[in-house]
Amino acid sequence: MSEKERVRGRILPREKGAAPLDVVIAVMAFLAALALGASMLAQRQAEGWREGLSGRLTVQVLQPDHPTATRNMQSETKAALAILRGTPGILTITEMSDADAEKLVEPWLGADAMVKDLPLPKLIDATIEPGAHVNFPELEARLKTVAPDSNVDDHTRWIARLQSLANTIIYAAYAVLLLIALATAAAVSFATRAGLEAHHDIVALLHQMGAHSGFIARAFEWHYLVSTFMASAVGAGFAAVTFLLAGGLEFAGVEAVPFLPPLGLNPQEMAWLLAVPAVSGAIAWATARLSVLAALREIY
Amino acid sequence: MIRFENVGMRYGPGPEVLRDVTFQLEAGSFSFLTGPSGAGKSTLLKLMFLAEPPSRGLITLFGTDLATARRSVLPALRRRIGVVFQDFRLLSHLSAFDNVALPLRLAGRKAEDYTHDVEELLNWVGLGDRLNAKPPTLSGGEQQRVAIARAVVGQPDLLLADEPTGNVDPEIAQRLIRLFGELNRLGTTVLIATHDRSLIERARAREMRLVDGRLVELRRA
Repeated sequence: MSEKERVRGRILPREKGAAPLDVVIAVMAFLAALALGASMLAQRQAEGWREGLSGRLTVQVLQPDHPTATRNMQSETKAALAILRGTPGILTITEMSDADAEKLVEPWLGADAMVKDLPLPKLIDATIEPGAHVNFPELEARLKTVAPDSNVDDHTRWIARLQSLANTIIYAAYAVLLLIALATAAAVSFATRAGLEAHHDIVALLHQMGAHSGFIARAFEWHYLVSTFMASAVGAGFAAVTFLLAGGLEFAGVEAVPFLPPLGLNPQEMAWLLAVPAVSGAIAWATARLSVLAALREIY
Repeated sequence: MIRFENVGMRYGPGPEVLRDVTFQLEAGSFSFLTGPSGAGKSTLLKLMFLAEPPSRGLITLFGTDLATARRSVLPALRRRIGVVFQDFRLLSHLSAFDNVALPLRLAGRKAEDYTHDVEELLNWVGLGDRLNAKPPTLSGGEQQRVAIARAVVGQPDLLLADEPTGNVDPEIAQRLIRLFGELNRLGTTVLIATHDRSLIERARAREMRLVDGRLVELRRA
């Protein structure tokens, strides 16, 4: 047999088929990638909520208790609209029609004729120029001079609540991610140590033949870096397919649970899933190196 | 080359396996180490190929006092020693060729430089047609010859062999002893631990005998 035909043997044997620990690593990597994707979705959704509500304000003009010719909701609304138009930083102003206001209360009170008799307030929806600063207390004070029973809602309360809900979701996702990352790290580390234990005779022989610690460590590092990276890549790949399918279903019009964010990841977010095999591989590399060097220190 | 002075060895809290062993191996010498089973032959070899440190006494190897040598110099000393282990210790996933080539790979030599040498050596030990066979498919005698080829391929300064002819027929045994002799003529110091009297008689080399952990000089070359 010629030199070229002969494959130079690897120092460590290549395991045939997927070892059980490779399967464990693949599953952990799948869960880690899912948690990572979920935390990115939560982050994106929280930002969406904040952008949707900030930059808007709603003025509510209430019906005076005893309307007069000078004090009625229509004239006060008109005056309020004039003040808003004259306020720097306000981009658009929309006066909500009575029909729209009725629609807003319909889910709670129904569409009976009785609703029409209710003293529903006039609602004015305004958007604020991006980057512009509007002094809400001062605006409210000016509005009260023309419409004493009006108030301004800048949605701060809602934004704060949604923000805190979104933060809770993000931190929960991070906590799950951290736990799964720890479990993955432990699985990778355990698999590497078990592999080293199985190959202890090879380590001892190479050491006996005068191989430097670095040479032996490199053989193991490379072996476990590659096998762990491959197993984790399979797991992360399955997670990527899961997100693609979820995104595809929404695209096809299958509605996900209301209030939940779209479950598809954009390409940039998908790229982050590559971090899972990269980090797993790095953990395996470091564990293999440290374990081999520690094992060699125990041998004379 | 090698000097032992009052070397004693015990494993853990057990009794001393070697007691006050003192001897010297001159560079380029050829010696036999004999003794009944359990006399400490394998332990003595282990001390010589740096698998264990002695419990007491002084060992000087290639001019280096092992008691004061730093760990970092030991790999270089080990690479100057070829060892034929009694249990062969071949890597079962590697071919006969790759097992023999292992010391050369560890020494940093390239495959194209050593392929011819390794093939020639495997031919010499009668395994020219088993280059790609893995150890589990080889007979005990064939495995032993691979182990011997691996020990000698790098032309070590010191060759230590533990029962190297235990599993081969007399004809092959003589051939292997000739191989050791050839290596010895090229400058390698050889020490063979064996029970085989006919081998010792024919070689007429120095014989050291271990009895109950003590070394007795039976014959000087």
